[in-house]
Amino acid sequence: MIQLRQMNKKSSRLKYLTNGIILENPTLILMIGLCPTLATSITVRDGLGMAAAASFVIIGSNVVASLLRRLIPATVRIPIFIIIISTFVTLVDYILQAYEPGLYQVLGVFVPLIVVNCIVLGRVEAFAYKHNVLDSMLDGMGKSLGFTLVLFVMGTIREVLGSGTFWGRPVTPAWFRQYPILLMILPPGAFILIGILKALLNKLMKPGS
Amino acid sequence: MPKNPALIFLAAFLVNNILLIRYIGLCPFFGVSTSLNTAFGMSAAVMFVMILAAWVTWFIFHIVLVPLNLIFLRTATFILVIAALVQFVEMFLKKSYRALYSAMGIYLPLITTNCAILAVTFLNIDYRHNLLQATIFALGTGLGFALVIILFSAIRERLDYAPITRSFRGYPIAFIAASLVSLAFLGFIGLFGLSL
Amino acid sequence: MSQSKVYMVLSLVVICLISAFALAQVYTLTKAKIEQAKIEAVMNALSQVLPNAISFEEKESSRVWFGYDKNGNKVGIVFQVMPRGYGGPIGTLVGVDSTGKITGLRIASPAEGLKETAGLGLRVREDWFRNQFINKTKNELRLKKDGGTIDAITAATISSRAVTNGVREGLERYKKYWSNDSTSPNE
Repeated sequence: MIQLRQMNKKSSRLKYLTNGIILENPTLILMIGLCPTLATSITVRDGLGMAAAASFVIIGSNVVASLLRRLIPATVRIPIFIIIISTFVTLVDYILQAYEPGLYQVLGVFVPLIVVNCIVLGRVEAFAYKHNVLDSMLDGMGKSLGFTLVLFVMGTIREVLGSGTFWGRPVTPAWFRQYPILLMILPPGAFILIGILKALLNKLMKPGS
Repeated sequence: MPKNPALIFLAAFLVNNILLIRYIGLCPFFGVSTSLNTAFGMSAAVMFVMILAAWVTWFIFHIVLVPLNLIFLRTATFILVIAALVQFVEMFLKKSYRALYSAMGIYLPLITTNCAILAVTFLNIDYRHNLLQATIFALGTGLGFALVIILFSAIRERLDYAPITRSFRGYPIAFIAASLVSLAFLGFIGLFGLSL
Repeated sequence: MSQSKVYMVLSLVVICLISAFALAQVYTLTKAKIEQAKIEAVMNALSQVLPNAISFEEKESSRVWFGYDKNGNKVGIVFQVMPRGYGGPIGTLVGVDSTGKITGLRIASPAEGLKETAGLGLRVREDWFRNQFINKTKNELRLKKDGGTIDAITAATISSRAVTNGVREGLERYKKYWSNDSTSPNE
């Protein structure tokens, strides 16, 4: 009996991780974290850089908030969450400035904007405050993976079609790189792409007439 | 970045429109632009808080953080200021301007996590604006936000009556519509020599 | 979980202090590295346009640098001009040897503030365009359509012309630096 319950607990634990990737993908299902997704997916490298920075903040904030959840009074929990999150964001800000200045320049204002990225505050409030540390960490990891996945897909499509390169290296014939699909690296292209991705996801999740 | 207030305004309002060109402020944009009324309410609230936040953060940055060598506290301070501002504005409206409160009060809590407001406060520092330039920048950005969100809500109200394939209904078609308006806004590049 | 007002304020204050302390530590730890990264970036850029130099000395703040080889001999200069292109100033670094010939050209990236149009003006950053400038002397530095020897980027004449003219004018303006001290060669 006990063995069965333990097995169930393990599978539900794993669910926290896997949910975030597709079923509860923050960008395409929960529709949060859109701004940085569109803005930094111009190249794969920038997109993944953003994903890394955001993941650090999401997981870190989730863990710390969960650790302190019994000490945080409900009435002032939002300001306290904000302080925790902004600490992690400032941390990432300075680490990037010191060790990856090129990426920091490209991401620009979107690094401090992680602090208002709905994904971070959303998960801390909705999950980490009410769950233990391990589960909160898994949830944070799951959502981060989902966020990263979307950034990777969008970054790949936008970079290959819009500049003819992948990670800065040319992957298309020279005639294409002479005049690639400029629209993909400009704002309208980003909007169209995410619209199509969302429609695709809708179709896949609700097949039928 | 332009120094002339008129150019700063134009750049913030049209050429570098915060929603359609900078990609900032999108979350509430898609949620609230479903009807003209909510669009107006949200725009008013955002503009008001944006200008107020620009002022308060400018003062705090230049009078407290810089002299005390505490620039690394910028992120935390700014977001807390915005959160506090929104709280105060909400309390003030509830007490003194009941009518206004019921009109835009519901959007106020949403504004705290509005990337656009925080972005304006940060950009004011990055572009080294003085107080006047910061105010104009906030005003232009707020109006740019309002323009797009109101325009868009009109489009979305129309979309409700259009026959759209199931998978594209809701967000996807809204994104496609946004891309077309964004394409139009790209046409403003070069206006008075302003650029992306 | 205490609900008293005192606890509320206390918890806020405590977390603020912890956060401020942690961030102050991070700031002090990374400050040196950040400064160093900035200097490295400048050195990198300068070396790109004046390959024979291994050390540099700033002569005019952000405008002119002298380049020296391993024996301390001056091998040339690097100057920076910011000609106005289509979208804004185009940060251009030019390396010049002591005879007034160009040794390299480097154009700022979008990450460094370049605002030219992607696919058009931005293409002044491409290798083939920049390499045209190497070993050219002042009189050759005009676009072909202006009587010189530089090929413009198709449909991006404004940006191409801006860079070309900016380089030529910079060469003239900073002649006092690159030309040998005793004589001023007629270019």
